[in-house]
This record gives sequence, structure tokens and C-alpha cells, in this order.
Amino acid sequence: MVTLLRKHMNHQRPSKRHGVPILRPFLGFSSFARTILFSRSAPAYSLSAFTKSPVDEVEEQEVDMVHADFGFFDPKLGDFSGVKLLLHNYLDNKPWDLSGFVDLILEQTTDGTVVKLDEQDEVGHTDDDDDDDAGPFGVITALNLQRYQELPEFLLEACTEETTKKKLKTYLERQAGDVGLLVSQRFVNCPYQLVPPLYDALFDEISWATEDEELRDSFCFKYYVLVTRIFESKTINQSKANLKGDDDFSDSIIYTKPEDEIFREMKNYKEKGLAMVIDASEVSKIREKLNCLLTEC
Amino acid sequence: MATRVQFENNCEVGVFSKLTNAYCLVAIGGSESFYSVFESELADVIPVVKTSIAGTRIIGRLCAGNKNGLLLPHTTTDQELQHLRNSLPDGVVVQRIDERLSALGNCIACNDHVALTHPDLDRETEELIADVLGVEVFRQTIAGNILVGSYCAFSNKGGLVHPHTSIEDLDELSTLLQVPLVAGTVNRGSEVIASGMTVNDWTAFCGSDTTATELSVIESVFKLRDAQPNIIVDEMRKSLIDSYV
Repeated sequence: MVTLLRKHMNHQRPSKRHGVPILRPFLGFSSFARTILFSRSAPAYSLSAFTKSPVDEVEEQEVDMVHADFGFFDPKLGDFSGVKLLLHNYLDNKPWDLSGFVDLILEQTTDGTVVKLDEQDEVGHTDDDDDDDAGPFGVITALNLQRYQELPEFLLEACTEETTKKKLKTYLERQAGDVGLLVSQRFVNCPYQLVPPLYDALFDEISWATEDEELRDSFCFKYYVLVTRIFESKTINQSKANLKGDDDFSDSIIYTKPEDEIFREMKNYKEKGLAMVIDASEVSKIREKLNCLLTEC
Repeated sequence: MATRVQFENNCEVGVFSKLTNAYCLVAIGGSESFYSVFESELADVIPVVKTSIAGTRIIGRLCAGNKNGLLLPHTTTDQELQHLRNSLPDGVVVQRIDERLSALGNCIACNDHVALTHPDLDRETEELIADVLGVEVFRQTIAGNILVGSYCAFSNKGGLVHPHTSIEDLDELSTLLQVPLVAGTVNRGSEVIASGMTVNDWTAFCGSDTTATELSVIESVFKLRDAQPNIIVDEMRKSLIDSYV
């Protein structure tokens, strides 16, 4: 992953740091992250605030801002290797047909977005170069669960509690036609400003797809399932499957992707290990909240 | 015969394994299906040794070897070195070398007669390569890339190089190596040939994303279709016995 970022940064001004500008301080969505932010005396704009390693005095005073333009593109088959890299750990280390899954995502060009560096303004590249140099930074899509069979099996295996397992089963099997699998993955230090527009774009595309004659049936989602990663405090006795980290904080759960915390707040959720089912009618509230969180200080 | 295989959902087979005419190294920690593919192809003919190098699983990129010897980076632990010395055939010289560029698999590409190396390799290392591996050493680049060990894979029968290699470069390399070369890809368009596949004189293992076209190119350039492993290994055994006398 790091190599990929370095390749992109070579197109920009050379900088000591490998990062993109974070124009506002990264918003802490859990109270742990907020305490970290407010405890720092160095200005939050400096990138050194987010690294834990000791930094020279000189470097701390220079703020190296790298300007990067991101573009949202429709998924296309050329993105295969980049998207596969992003989804590599989607189901832990279990051997499964990842290539088939990625193909399925890339075939769905009308619904789904791939985030790449938008380099078209700077240099006149031919299309061949773009695929090599501009690897995707993030991907988001929604798949109709009926089209993909292995995932429900994995989720049910990972479930340890019986009651929620049964509930999850109903969503995954009986109502599979109405359930959409929300796949959203991006590199760890992607700037958060990208996320609300990304979700907006996805939900817009889904609603447009329901108006389109051909695809209508497979996009009328009543529920969304998402699989994600969280860190859970070891002291809390909840049955989480194999996917918990071992951070020990006062907050019981740390979210790798902050929007997951919003999803949890939505009423009709069943949180099981790391799979959440949310009601599609809550989508507009989710979009509002995402936008609010970005603008709040 | 070329076989498709996967290491824990990862198609970069050449990172987690090292295949030569006399032995095969595989990384520990993979699923049983990974080993079983190697063992079913190779078990009767050459030893398949599970190992780590420097505590890591990326053994294919850290070591370089052929039927005569195996070179290991300075980060290899003593236990690993001993384990390899015990497990590999007696004719194979296992040597740990002190080289600043420790990813030897990325810096050195070799078959049993010729080696291509990174242009910045030390003089002493070059001599050691010539000594231990019994090869002629050439400092080269491939399509402008200095990591020759990553961007090409060749055996005694043929070779596959980075897809952007020019015709002149191909001719020059082919003359140096004395084998036919072709510019191509592996794993559905990946240019990093040596991490996507590993090959010896009679068999090759490629990542499971490799398309049928890529696989047929590999089988034809490495002449795998009518390869007979027993003949090749018997010839080697005879020459090894001669050296004791």
C-alpha cells in the first residue's frame, strides 16, 4: 500500500511527508480520538500531530501541504488489480473467490464508484498510462445479495450468538432479493472529505437505477448489509468473532471507518460481529449526518 | 505443465516460493492447499522445503538460487540457515551473504548457467554469485528497471520479461542468456513477472488470476508441454556423483 502512495506523490511536488492535505483536523468520531486531538499542543494542521514517532524540531515547523485532486470514476475492468488490493482482507484470510467478487463489482458500471487521483488536467496522458499510474484509492458499491452466494455463508460462520444469527439468516436467505451488500473500502489515510460525497453518489446512483427499466428489480433495496472492521476493548464481554483488535481504551469500540458509527446509530440495526443491517429508509438521514459530521468543529 | 495456485487469496506465488531444478522452497503459514499443489507436482522428483527467511514469508524475493547453490541475505537467522543446509540436497551450497541490497530475489535473476544482477550490487557479491551458483554474471536492466530479479523469470529453456521491454533489449538479453525470451505479463496484466510466477525446467506455478492466454504463452516459451522431469533430474544426479569421484 505504501508503495502505491509514493508513486502518486511523485507526480506532485516532492515533499518530505507522504500524505494529502488535511485542511481541517481529522474529526474524532470516538471520544478516544477526540482526547488524542485535544491533548496535542502542536497545531493540528501539522501532519506530525498524526504520527507517533519523534519528529525533528525543524520538520515540525514546516507544514508540507501536497495538493491532490481526487476524481470519482465508474468502475471499469481495468481497475481489477487495484480494487482487488483494496478488498484483499474483506473476509479475513479465508480462501474465497475474491477475483470473482471483484469482477462482479467491476461489471456493475452504473452503480458504484472508484476513487482515483484526477490527473487529466495536469499532463496529457493516454488512457493506457492512467490504468498503471492511477490506482484506485477507494471503492464503494452496492451489490444485490442474491447474485453472490458465498458471502452469506461466511457471515453466518463468523456469527457466534444464536439469536442474532437467526435474524441475520432471515435477511441473508429469505429476503436476499431485497438486501444490498454495501462494500466500501479505502486506503487507511484517505482524507475524510471524500466520504460524504462518495456515499451521496452511491445512494443517488441506486435511486437512479431503480428508475431505469432494466435494472429496476435488482436495485430496490430494503436493507443494506455491511461488513467492516472495528477495534473492541478486551475488557468488554461481548462475543465478537475473529475480527477484533486488541486496543484497550475506555471506549468499548473504535471504528476504523467513522461512518460505521453513524450506521450503528440508525434504529433498525442488528450488529453482529462486524455485519450490520440497516434499513434503506434511513438512507437520507445517514447522508445528512455524514455531511454534518464533516462540517462540525 | 503450468499450474495455477494461490497463497491465502494472494496470487503472487513467486513471492512465497522459490523453485529450482534441484529443490523447491515454500513459505510457512499458508493453507494446506498451497503445499499440496507443490507436493503433488514435485514430491517424487525434488525436495519441497518449508521455511522462513529472516522470520518472514516473502522467501521468494529474499533469496536467489539454482541447482548449484542458494544465496541468502544477511538477515537470515542461524536456525533458518541450519534448517536449509539440512533439508537441501548435499550438492547445493547454501551461503549467507553480506550485501546491502538484502532482497536478493529482486536483485538477481538466474538459471543454471547465467545470472542477471542489479547494476548496484557489490563486487564481492558478484564474485560470490559466480562462485556459489556457478554462473556467468551480467549487470543489466530490464525495460529501464534495475530490479532485474522482479521483472523477469527465466529457466534453462526460456524466459519471460517485463511487457514494456523493447525489441532491441529483448535481442540483447536473449544473446546474453542464450535462451528464447518473450515479453509478457502474468496474473491478468501484472508486470512484475517474477513475483507472479515461479518456474524451473519442467514445471511452472502461476497465480490463479493468470489468464489462459498468459498461461499458454508461459507454457510455450518455457517449453513445458512435453517436459519430462525424470530425465532432467537423472542427468543432474549423474553429474553430482561424478564430482565426488
